[in-house]
Amino acid sequence: MYRFIHSGDLHLGKRYGNMPEELRGRLKEARHTVLRRLADQARAQGASAILLAGDSFDTETPSPETRRQALAEMAHHAPLTWVLLPGNHDSLQAAQLWSALATGRPANVTLATEAAIHELAPGVALLPAPCTTRRPGRDLTQWMDGAATPEGTIRLGLAHAAILDFAEEGGASGIITPDRAARAGLDYLALGDWHGAMAIDARTHYSGTPEPDRFKHDRPGQALLVTLPAVGAPPEVTPLVTGSFEWRTIPLHLLAQDDGPARLAALLPPGPERRQSLLRIAATGRASLNARTALAAAIEHAAPEFALLELDDDRLETDCEAGDLDLIDRAGALREAAERLHAASLDTAASAAEREVARAALIRLFSLCQKIAS
Amino acid sequence: MKIAALRFYNVKRFARQGVAIENIADGVNVLCAANEYGKSTSFEALHALFFQPHTGAPKEVKRLQPYSGGNPLVEADIVVPEGRFRLSKQFLGGRRATVESLDDGRLIAQADEAERFIAGLVRGGTAGPAGLLWVRQGITGIGDRARKEEDEERQVRESLLSSVQGEVEAVTGGRRMSQIMAACQDELAVLVTPTGRPKADGPYSKALDLRNTLAETEKRLAGEVAILREALDRRARLQRELAELSDPDEQAARREAVVKARAALDHAKSHAERLTAAQAQAGLARNQAEAAERALVAFREALHRSATVRVALDAAAAQRGQALTRRAEAARAIDEALAEVRAAEAGEAAARALMARLDAALAARRAAAEIEALRARLAAADAKRGEVEAAEAALALIALPAGAVDALQKLETEIATLRAAREAGLPSVLLDYEPGIATPVLIDGEPLPAGEPRPVADRARLTIAGLGTLTLRSNRPEADDGRLETAQTRRLRALSAVGAADLADARRREAQAREASAALDLLRLELRHLAPEGLATLREEVARRAALAPEPTELSDDPEEARRAREAADRRVQAARNAAREVEPLHRHAGEAVTAAETAYLTLKAEFERLEAGLGPENERPAQEARLASAHENLAATLRERDAAAAQLLDGAPDLQSAEAVLRRATSAEDAARQQQERLQLDLAGLNAEIRTRSDDAVEEAWREASEALEAASKRVAAFEAEVGLLNRLAGTLADARAAARDLYLQPVIGELRPLLGMLFDDVSIVFDEKTLLPQTIRRNGQDEEIDRLSGGMREQLSVLTRLAFARLLAQGGRPAPVILDDALVYSDDDRIERMFEALHRQAMDQQIIVFSCRQRAFARLGGQVLRMEPWQPAT
Repeated sequence: MYRFIHSGDLHLGKRYGNMPEELRGRLKEARHTVLRRLADQARAQGASAILLAGDSFDTETPSPETRRQALAEMAHHAPLTWVLLPGNHDSLQAAQLWSALATGRPANVTLATEAAIHELAPGVALLPAPCTTRRPGRDLTQWMDGAATPEGTIRLGLAHAAILDFAEEGGASGIITPDRAARAGLDYLALGDWHGAMAIDARTHYSGTPEPDRFKHDRPGQALLVTLPAVGAPPEVTPLVTGSFEWRTIPLHLLAQDDGPARLAALLPPGPERRQSLLRIAATGRASLNARTALAAAIEHAAPEFALLELDDDRLETDCEAGDLDLIDRAGALREAAERLHAASLDTAASAAEREVARAALIRLFSLCQKIAS
Repeated sequence: MKIAALRFYNVKRFARQGVAIENIADGVNVLCAANEYGKSTSFEALHALFFQPHTGAPKEVKRLQPYSGGNPLVEADIVVPEGRFRLSKQFLGGRRATVESLDDGRLIAQADEAERFIAGLVRGGTAGPAGLLWVRQGITGIGDRARKEEDEERQVRESLLSSVQGEVEAVTGGRRMSQIMAACQDELAVLVTPTGRPKADGPYSKALDLRNTLAETEKRLAGEVAILREALDRRARLQRELAELSDPDEQAARREAVVKARAALDHAKSHAERLTAAQAQAGLARNQAEAAERALVAFREALHRSATVRVALDAAAAQRGQALTRRAEAARAIDEALAEVRAAEAGEAAARALMARLDAALAARRAAAEIEALRARLAAADAKRGEVEAAEAALALIALPAGAVDALQKLETEIATLRAAREAGLPSVLLDYEPGIATPVLIDGEPLPAGEPRPVADRARLTIAGLGTLTLRSNRPEADDGRLETAQTRRLRALSAVGAADLADARRREAQAREASAALDLLRLELRHLAPEGLATLREEVARRAALAPEPTELSDDPEEARRAREAADRRVQAARNAAREVEPLHRHAGEAVTAAETAYLTLKAEFERLEAGLGPENERPAQEARLASAHENLAATLRERDAAAAQLLDGAPDLQSAEAVLRRATSAEDAARQQQERLQLDLAGLNAEIRTRSDDAVEEAWREASEALEAASKRVAAFEAEVGLLNRLAGTLADARAAARDLYLQPVIGELRPLLGMLFDDVSIVFDEKTLLPQTIRRNGQDEEIDRLSGGMREQLSVLTRLAFARLLAQGGRPAPVILDDALVYSDDDRIERMFEALHRQAMDQQIIVFSCRQRAFARLGGQVLRMEPWQPAT
């Protein structure tokens, strides 16, 4: 039996330039501390190795601090073995990085920089497929088919690339054959690149990133605990939660009568989790002017409790009824202005952008009226 | 809203007094009282109740306080659709505000709530029309804004407009509109300048700046990342190249190639050296063989030549002898010729000397002869001079004065004329001779010329030869007038004067004189010929020559002979010289011949002697020749051997140049590989440094961060753009709506106003601008008048009517509001006020109007509910 943790896409050193200043440091820090969480899980689950399937570093030239601190953290968890595979973000083209890692590498860190059989443990052969360049443009796992190992050896594949036509950052190149595990007689093929966990077949898995870095996958950061009972036996794969921050896009479909803020309150996580949550409320459906303003106000009100809380209301239609306009004014010039904006926001002859401007102006008028009345 | 009652206490002069105005009804209510009775105080109290917050103490509130102090209290009962309420406010001390329901006595609201309730009445809640339409004494508006505008009284039209406009805005909810527009503009002003550009230091501008800065940073970092990646790629390439170059097999192969090439070159070199030695020996042998051959040939040629030369030498010796002989002969001949020349020349010299002497003697003789001749000429000249002098003397005797002959001639002619005249009447004789008559007829002794008539004065005697004498007589007396005689007398005198007998004599003498003169001239000429330069000169010449003349010598020889002798001597010299000249070439030629012969001889002799010396003694010559031939034979054999040896070496020689080229190539390949390695290592070192620097800077992380930040910043800029767009849109829409609303409301107001005007001014028509509600023209009695001529009365009437029109409009809209007039008609005359009241009554059917006025008489008969001010004490 051989037990290890399959993870990858740590993207150490990612700086999150698009995030608010105060959040960047925390997000970056979370990427570093995931090393410790992985090690804790490994110890807790009795795994002897952590296989990182590429993109351990976000760039080919991480800062010396990022690199050194990562190695120091890994060294701290000896005798746990860490295996680092070059991915597309930190391919072998980043020779400086890999030579620096090779130089500063502690004993319990293995660099899978060569497509050659490596004995991970007695009776366990690691077959890595390191990314030679940022875009290798070929199936780097092909060599595994012809790589012979002694009878009774567990064959463990490690690769970083897309399968089929999905890739984490589009423009898939160097697609891995989906049945590589079967072809090469692998007991398990640990894949990286896709940031969400995904099972291709019983022996082929993407672990997903242990610490999410974007809204794309809507799932908590996790790693896979893989147990190989024996040569040829199907692996047991168990997900382990490792994420510190949660990135989620929460759909909020509203009907005209819905109470947006109430629905929102039901969707938002409870208190303590909020600080570690990055949420995007994707509002769809229809809302009245009032409801819409109320929803925005509710989001604005709740936002400070979250790492990030933002409202995406691009696809939320605004229902404007006479009652809404009455709140602006029952008659007179203000009512007239509101009516005009409302008509313009529904005018299909105008461009979508113009409609959007009219809609936004109406909402603003509404909120200004509220503010002055109060 | 309608007002049912007004009460106040402690207001202005009503210190510790209360006033109540109860039973204010619908329609027109009139409070008519004298000045200082409390009308204006009532009005102000009512205004403060509705418009002054109970908490504030602005001067309007302070004015309410009595001089003696105290807290003003104001309350009013109102009727609104919701019910009847009592509003109450106490200002300054014990501030409070309450709203009670009069239906059930409940306290509806107090303090701020009460204020909000009252404000709602005044502003009509969110709908916003003013609940009260006030017209004050001489004032067409109310509140600060209106008052400010009132200050500009000259702006009649403006103030009228503003009084109207203020109501319009009140009706159209304009205050909220203004607030919203202001809020909208405020938000916009934070972002952009009035011209729509991003405001400096505003958030929009900052976002733009940030985005631009980030874009630049991102571009720079992207460039650096590209450089880094390029460097990484290049380093990989270089490392691959280096690995290939450093491959041990390759290096060994290159090394081996060099070693092999060098061995081949060494071999080639030693072979070449051997070949060179052999070729040198062969060359030596060739030289020796050739030398031997040359010696043999030379010996043989010398032998042959010796024989030939000996014969030639003998011939040359003979020739030389002959030449010497010929030269001796020639020398002799030339000596003789030269002796002859010398002799001839001596003879010639003697002959010349003799000739000279003879010439000198001849000259002396010629000089003596010349002196003699000169002396003779001198004597002849002397004689000739004597003749000249004699001739001159003779000429002087016969010379006539000049003109004498002419005078005589003239006289003669005169006489002849006179005589002819006398003879014209005389007979004449004419004779024509027969041919061949030899002897002429003589007349008076003179021959009678033929064919010439001849007068016969008295008598004529003709002598005819052979015939006799013929006498002719004319027998006629001569006429005498004396003139002829006078002329003849003068002639006589003239003749005697010159000593001549007659004219002919005179003429003769003249001719003689001429001849003598000519002879004299001739003599003189001869004299000049003899002594051209004068006698004296001639004489001197003679003397000079006589002094110079050499002594004449005697001629011993015959000069002719001497001359001939000299010519002979000349000829002899010439001949001798020619002879010598002829001999000269012969002699020279002979000399040259001798020289040539001698040279030839000596040359031959020298050659012969040289040959003889080289050949050695004659008896040893055959042995010598045999020895030379043998030596040549031996050396030739040696040469053949060595040539063969050298040719053999040459045939087997390896190509030295190609061996060198091979070595060069192998060495350069090795060197190039080494240099390439060094260069690659150098480049790698540079790249390593560059990559390390950039890697340590984590440039890629920075780039990703910058590009993400740029994305966020761009979104933010877009959001600001959208914000500005929507605010502009909102502001524009609001402004448009307000303008449209103004039009919308103004039209009805004008519509309401028009019939009221008609009631009031039957003699005046006012044309309003439909758009602005400004009075445009006033037409009075059919005359257009300037609008600023509006009288104060008309202004206030218009103001009141305008409010009435609004009040009607509001009432029609279901929101009635009271119109309160405080002495609003001070400028108007009674008639006008009467009409005005008709208008008011007409209004008051569904409109509450409260009039405060001091014009008791005027208002006394106008009807309406009469209000009274009663003492009032607030409930404690």
